[in-house]
Amino acid sequence: MARKLRRLLAGSTVNERYGNRLEVITDGPHAVSALVILKSSGFEHLSNITCVDWIDEHRMDVTYNLWSYTHRLHAVVKAQAHRDALEVPTTGEIWPQAQVYEREIHEMFGVEFTGNPDLSPLFLHNWRDMPPLRKDFDTEEYSRRAYGVVDGVEEAGV
Amino acid sequence: MLKVSREEILDGKFERVLNFFRSRSLWMLYYCTGCGAVELPPTMTSRFDIERFGIGPMATPRQADILLVTGYVSVKTLKRIVRSYEQMPEPKWVVGFGSCPVNGGIYWKSYATINQLDRYIPVDLSLSGCMPRPQAVIDGFVNLMEMIRKGEAVGYKKYRLNYEWYKQNQAEVLERTEPVLRPGIASVGKVQETKKKISVMEGVK
Amino acid sequence: MILSVVKVLGHAFFVMAVGLLFMGVGRRFSARFHRRYGPPVWQSYIDVIKCFSRKSISHHWIMDMGSVMGLAGLVAASMFLPVGRYLPFQSTGPIIVILYLMPIGYLGMAMGVSASGNPLASIGIGRALTLMLGYEVPFATIVLCMIAAFNSTSLVSLGQAQQAGFLSWNIITMPFGFVAGIIALQAMLAEKPFDTMIAPSEIASGPMVELSGKFLGLAFLQHSVGIFVETGLIVTLFLGGGPGVGFFILKQFLVYMLSLAINAIFARYRVEQATKFLWFTAGGLAFIQLVINMYLRSGTI
Repeated sequence: MARKLRRLLAGSTVNERYGNRLEVITDGPHAVSALVILKSSGFEHLSNITCVDWIDEHRMDVTYNLWSYTHRLHAVVKAQAHRDALEVPTTGEIWPQAQVYEREIHEMFGVEFTGNPDLSPLFLHNWRDMPPLRKDFDTEEYSRRAYGVVDGVEEAGV
Repeated sequence: MLKVSREEILDGKFERVLNFFRSRSLWMLYYCTGCGAVELPPTMTSRFDIERFGIGPMATPRQADILLVTGYVSVKTLKRIVRSYEQMPEPKWVVGFGSCPVNGGIYWKSYATINQLDRYIPVDLSLSGCMPRPQAVIDGFVNLMEMIRKGEAVGYKKYRLNYEWYKQNQAEVLERTEPVLRPGIASVGKVQETKKKISVMEGVK
Repeated sequence: MILSVVKVLGHAFFVMAVGLLFMGVGRRFSARFHRRYGPPVWQSYIDVIKCFSRKSISHHWIMDMGSVMGLAGLVAASMFLPVGRYLPFQSTGPIIVILYLMPIGYLGMAMGVSASGNPLASIGIGRALTLMLGYEVPFATIVLCMIAAFNSTSLVSLGQAQQAGFLSWNIITMPFGFVAGIIALQAMLAEKPFDTMIAPSEIASGPMVELSGKFLGLAFLQHSVGIFVETGLIVTLFLGGGPGVGFFILKQFLVYMLSLAINAIFARYRVEQATKFLWFTAGGLAFIQLVINMYLRSGTI
């Protein structure tokens, strides 16, 4: 399967990891075509979409987890985007459930998904700061400023 | 700060007679806010029976005396807790269950949960522990019954007299208009850089 | 004149006090079923006093009127029930009057609760009135059985007809009627398996969802008077009515404990299942009893 995919996906790297897992590394604009090829090769189930923030290498990975019932194989597609130009085309036309995952990633990481019809916030209530799951968001300082800090109490006998 | 503190508004003599009856039959609205609600069924059922003190569960805020805030309180939950508290008729009491309403508990660093419930609604009794065991819960409720009987549990009067202060605190959290972490302030910049380095190192590990 | 007013008021307070005592003892009894201790027996008095000492919120003047009407209907029904041959004023204890004063209580509560504007309350009241439609069928058939057997609708004469010892009680002579009566009593008291009206976690306690403070106190008192009247009816119809007030209350207590024992074991029926059960099973038993009574009375069918 890995050889077949290497032949089909000319511009990307295909690795084999342990067990029955494959890994495909592409970049943003080619992610959609890679996913279409994978879906037609037998990976019909999209498990979830998530995002990883590599702040040292100054990029973010939008990660798609796919599963194939026919071949019993698991594939991971990592679409790498540069941290200053976070744009990935949407996969809502391939799998309809991807629209909600992309909404969450847009809210929590700030990745712009072009073509997604609805990117309104899901969880955060009245949020004005930077997207909270990025590595340069200081959550302790936010909690200290917004909600206050309670001093510790001297326990008797401890 | 608070204009009127607790010591100034204790109940008068006539109220003490009614307080005897109120302390013997408390009905609680257990608003299962968070993970703490898992300790309430063992407390209410056969082994650690709390109905022998007259305390029973009631379904709606209109019928309940005690609002039981169990566990962590996120920003969305805070809005609903305030609304439920204001729907309850007086006299009413709030019990903070677990360490999270006291000082944030294990979620004190989180951007989504508040740290100190006492700034938004008046808390009469706090039970610490993560989660407190049923024996501790019963001990806390017996303490609350003593406080009510003596006329010291007057959180609802505090809320009424310090209404603007509580509303201001609530609006600060619920209707935010400016970002909290403002970038570009010089004195904070270095602190932010060092903190960024620490968080980056943690991320790499 | 003044003395009769005092007698009527005293009877009303006596009925409420005994009903609340039954509720308190009942809570302790069903706690023992669950292998735990329960609250003390005077807990219901403390609950009612606490309810009246809180501030209450009224949404409409119809809500005030409806709550009072609910209590008033049941207290009026309790005036006609002979408590061991004692009545607050001279009457023959007509059973038809009691049968139509009891729904006035329900309808008053329904009117008051619907005026509160909460949709959960309307669902709860719809279920309660459907259940009332369910239990009136076997209960009215039992009344027809009594008319067929004793030729009068007066509870006083029914009580007197059963005074000839234990074997003349209607529980022995009309067993099917007694079973139908016990099933109808479960529905009238809103105990499981017919307590879909209260249903705490489904519809947030049904009709009582918006009642606070004194309205909740009135609802509690209405429930306690209802316990007294309904168990009193079963005792007078089937268990002989008692030679004095003490024996009457003792027999009422036994009937209430039987109903609580059934409550502790069963789960809850849905409304359509409950009405079907009440109409066909309980109503069927009462109908068999009616046919037997009419046969015995006239010799032929």
